[in-house]
Amino acid sequence: MDFISHGIAEAFRLLLSGDSQTYSAVAATVKVSSMSMAVSLALGIPAGFILGYTSFPGKRQARLMVDTMLALPTVFIGLLVYALVSSQGPLGDLGLLFTLKGIAIGQTILALPIVIALTAAAVEQMDRQLRTTLISLGADRYRLLMTSLWEVRHGILAAGLTAYGRVMTEVGISMMVGGNIKWQTRTVTTAIALETGKGRFAVGFALGLVLILIALTVNVSVSFLRRK
Amino acid sequence: MPFYEVENLVHAYNRKPILKIRQMKIEPGSITGLVGPNGSGKSTLLRLLGFVEKPLKGEIRLDGRPVKPFDPCVRQVTLLPQTPYLLKRSVFQNVAYGLMVRKQRSNLKRSIHQALEMVGLDPGEFGMRQWDELSGGEAQRVALAARLVLRPGVLLLDEPTASVDAASAQLIKEASLQARKQWNTTLVIASHDWQWLREVCDHIRHLFRGHLLATGQASLVFGPWRPAGPAMVEKVLPDGQRLQAMGHPEDLAKAVAVFDPDDFILSNRRPTGPSKLCWVRGSLTQLSVEKGSRRLLATVAAGNVPFAARLEPGEKHGACPLVPGQALWIGYDPLKVKWY
Repeated sequence: MDFISHGIAEAFRLLLSGDSQTYSAVAATVKVSSMSMAVSLALGIPAGFILGYTSFPGKRQARLMVDTMLALPTVFIGLLVYALVSSQGPLGDLGLLFTLKGIAIGQTILALPIVIALTAAAVEQMDRQLRTTLISLGADRYRLLMTSLWEVRHGILAAGLTAYGRVMTEVGISMMVGGNIKWQTRTVTTAIALETGKGRFAVGFALGLVLILIALTVNVSVSFLRRK
Repeated sequence: MPFYEVENLVHAYNRKPILKIRQMKIEPGSITGLVGPNGSGKSTLLRLLGFVEKPLKGEIRLDGRPVKPFDPCVRQVTLLPQTPYLLKRSVFQNVAYGLMVRKQRSNLKRSIHQALEMVGLDPGEFGMRQWDELSGGEAQRVALAARLVLRPGVLLLDEPTASVDAASAQLIKEASLQARKQWNTTLVIASHDWQWLREVCDHIRHLFRGHLLATGQASLVFGPWRPAGPAMVEKVLPDGQRLQAMGHPEDLAKAVAVFDPDDFILSNRRPTGPSKLCWVRGSLTQLSVEKGSRRLLATVAAGNVPFAARLEPGEKHGACPLVPGQALWIGYDPLKVKWY
């Protein structure tokens, strides 16, 4: 048990002393997850709204596909993106292999179905009278869309939060597409896997602690937004 | 010129016909009551008149022009649904929403306070309350204030007092009439509150299974009916009396008999001797003054079925004056019954 308590103490020391390797991994994680979340939210919220709000031919099949993609294993996504961006793949010329952008593409594939499915579920639960009320009060189509989204903001926040949690904690995509390159594509989760393999539990704990701190910060921000 | 003109209106949900109205007109500044049993199409008609939905077929003209949802002129029409939806914001922001979308920001606070006062809510006490800090009656009044603040040309009310307490109901009724008085707002009210509608409405329209059956104060008696002789059908009322009428309705189970209020005769004893009239016994439940004509309308319940009779000025009904609760006989000519 000593090594655990020693690891936690060492974790605080590394964080407080500003250990450059630790902070490099933290920076890579924040950067890549921000990129993937920005794209996932920008595409996922409108798509989820359309899926939950409107009726169109093939809606049930689209919903089934999105729900199936919720269960995509990260290693499979990693494999898929690796195949696409490797030098032999169709996107090989873009030079995305072993880059943060490459990881972000994979994480977007991971997060997008979560944002779409949970946004659609939130929109489906929206009160039927909302549309009637907004039109009765004079809302045009744009206002109707924006106010409806605002009314289900808690559901959309939950969708974003769930997707963010999944993106932050995945290892498979970062490892396969990013290659875990020190100072460049090493994220918190790949660093934990590496350091644990080397027996350096303190660094692993320190990085784990950072992940928890980031999650806490995001949750506190979201609960603050919910009160607004 | 009528404010609303409805022509050949057909609407359906999931291919199930809900509404079929050949023609309907509503005058500007008038109060129109819509009555009919649940599922008769009242709410659907209000949603179409409110341009919340587009009819499957037919046309609704507003001020002489064909209009569809989201047209700019639709903003003079506002609908208060039976179950109000308040935005997840404060009362102040809820009432302000309609003004904000119209970009009418001048005197915003004063307008909102006036609207809240119209529905009997103290702006200081309620303005900053959140949507989930209100009772059902308060929420309904806030929803009405959100419409009144717009000074609407048309206010469509879908059973506005159905799910609120008596005090809130009274305030909602007063505020609606105040809108008509102050801004000449055209009111269309769907309600089961017969007494209120009779007192305030210029016109009452009956809806049944999506069809406009009759206008005015006609009494409707719904099937099932059964044959009772050549060209005669009857309905057994809940108290065992038989209500007879002449005619050949197509479907006895679903046929609706319409009795004109001018065709009834009231008497405190059953007349004897030969007569072509049919009589049923009931008790006087309500006396009201008909708006416009200022004539008395007596509602007599026979076996729980209400019949409205319009009384001639100075009409005598035996020796006794009419008193609610009094037992009365209602006479009618079975040949004059109309069928739908």
